[in-house]
Amino acid sequence: MTAPTDTTGVPARPRRRSSRGVVLGVVLLVAIALPFFRGLPAYNYVLQLGIVLFMWIAMTSSWNIVGGFAGYISLGHNVFYGIGGYLSGLLLVYAGWSPFATAVLAGLFCLALGVGFGLVTFRAHGPAFIISTIALLLMVTIFFDNWEFVGGSNGISMPLPPFPVEWIKVPFYYAMLVSAVGSVYLAYRIAHSKFGLGLRALAQDETKAEVAGIDTRRFKIAAFALSAFFVGVVGAVWAYSLSYLRPTIFFIIGVAANMVLMAIIGGRGTVAGPVVGAIVLIAVNELSVVLFGASELNIVVTGVILLGVLLFFPLGIVGTLREHGKLPAILDWD
Amino acid sequence: MLLDIQNVEAGYGSAPPVLRGLSLQVEDNRSYCVIGPNGAGKSTLLKTIVGILRPRRGTIRFQGESIEGLRPDEILQKGICFVPQDRSLFPEMTVQENLRMGGFLIRDRRLLRERLDRVYELFPILRDRTNQVAGTLSGGQQQMLALARTLMIEPKLLCVDEPSLGLAPGIVDQVFETLTEFRKQGMTVLLVEQNAVRGLSWADWGFVLDLGALRFEGPADGILENPQIRELYLGRLAARGEE
Repeated sequence: MTAPTDTTGVPARPRRRSSRGVVLGVVLLVAIALPFFRGLPAYNYVLQLGIVLFMWIAMTSSWNIVGGFAGYISLGHNVFYGIGGYLSGLLLVYAGWSPFATAVLAGLFCLALGVGFGLVTFRAHGPAFIISTIALLLMVTIFFDNWEFVGGSNGISMPLPPFPVEWIKVPFYYAMLVSAVGSVYLAYRIAHSKFGLGLRALAQDETKAEVAGIDTRRFKIAAFALSAFFVGVVGAVWAYSLSYLRPTIFFIIGVAANMVLMAIIGGRGTVAGPVVGAIVLIAVNELSVVLFGASELNIVVTGVILLGVLLFFPLGIVGTLREHGKLPAILDWD
Repeated sequence: MLLDIQNVEAGYGSAPPVLRGLSLQVEDNRSYCVIGPNGAGKSTLLKTIVGILRPRRGTIRFQGESIEGLRPDEILQKGICFVPQDRSLFPEMTVQENLRMGGFLIRDRRLLRERLDRVYELFPILRDRTNQVAGTLSGGQQQMLALARTLMIEPKLLCVDEPSLGLAPGIVDQVFETLTEFRKQGMTVLLVEQNAVRGLSWADWGFVLDLGALRFEGPADGILENPQIRELYLGRLAARGEE
């Protein structure tokens, strides 16, 4: 990552930036190298875990742009996930284009949709905004449930990926890794930009932000649209990895709730928070499945973890550690 | 003429209007103090000028240009800056970030840097506290920061709503000295002040508002000495100011 730049050209507070860069670089290299070790025990499981983890990092990090930086909680963000998935999936089914190529297109389409939805939903503030995003989700769900061309509520099958079966997870792994890195980098750049400063300002007080000269509506819509991009991209990749499109995979509110949970656990409005939150929640989930089996006890465990975090880390893990000056430099990306 | 307000009617939501056909004119390079009893519409007047409230009727012209109905950021761009009663700081941001928010409209980085340096020169205390979170400053320091922030965009007209509210008398002196400094830099200041004696003895010109309309205007010292005004509008306020 590049050194933090400040719009005023004022040097950022001195930090142990070089060692942080080295550690993060090593982590990234390990993630890149992982698929080459076919001899790993549970190779496919590890890769699948990577796919899921990177996907949630990308989604939560994207959600955080509008839900964290701008302070507008969206509970309908998975509409972009589903629409990205459907767009790429349908292009594969009807035109034969690979979702790996059209995922970016799906992202751009979601970006444009984000502008459109933002124009409507940002007429509301606070709780009314949250409800308007739920309404958006419900409307999109009804639309896809009844659109027979895409199979309605039964869904539609996609052709399987044309890769040898022993390598089948590798392209998905890298696609999700690129999305995760891209979305975190996007969040990082926003956090260090004037745009990010403006979002933080309007999250604190919209009237004050307006008086300071921010066209808050435009900022919010831009944040919403940018936060839709990578959600659309990973939706396309995820749909292809399942080879199946069905509304209940994408358009259930639990998907959006998961983004919110991960962001809150990690630290809403911080750059590293969504990454930490995604790792914690997925680790807890996997662990409880391993320990208790697929007994849905994992949901209980998740609830307990969330309670614990809210009790002891009211600003999320990263946010609270930073508040107390105990955030390790390695996680200080703001 | 810098600002020309004609027959403006404005209020909150669907409630009856607070400003009821108010007209007043502000000349360039002068200082004004708006006084009047509670509910007269003083703060509402400022909020309407800077675009937080949209006038229901009437016209507002700034340097000959019609500005009623513009967004606050557009009005700021035209050169009208507002320091509200609650000081409009972002308490969770640092001093420097707050100053950058003050200069949000500046696109040129070098200019932003220059303005920042100038503000720090005029307010050395802020330079010392550049990385301190604004919410942890004292009330006086916060008011200084709020005023210093306006220097970032060098507005032509500065609207200040009760800058002395909740401050110790010594600090109030500092605030008024700062406003005098701003006047010397060529800014026109439109001040709303509960402490009428204090505000009027500082300003060149006074406006007396009551029930949402302009009741009287004139040279500030004249208003202070006008027995009728004193009795009607300054009674308790004047007594308080002279304590």
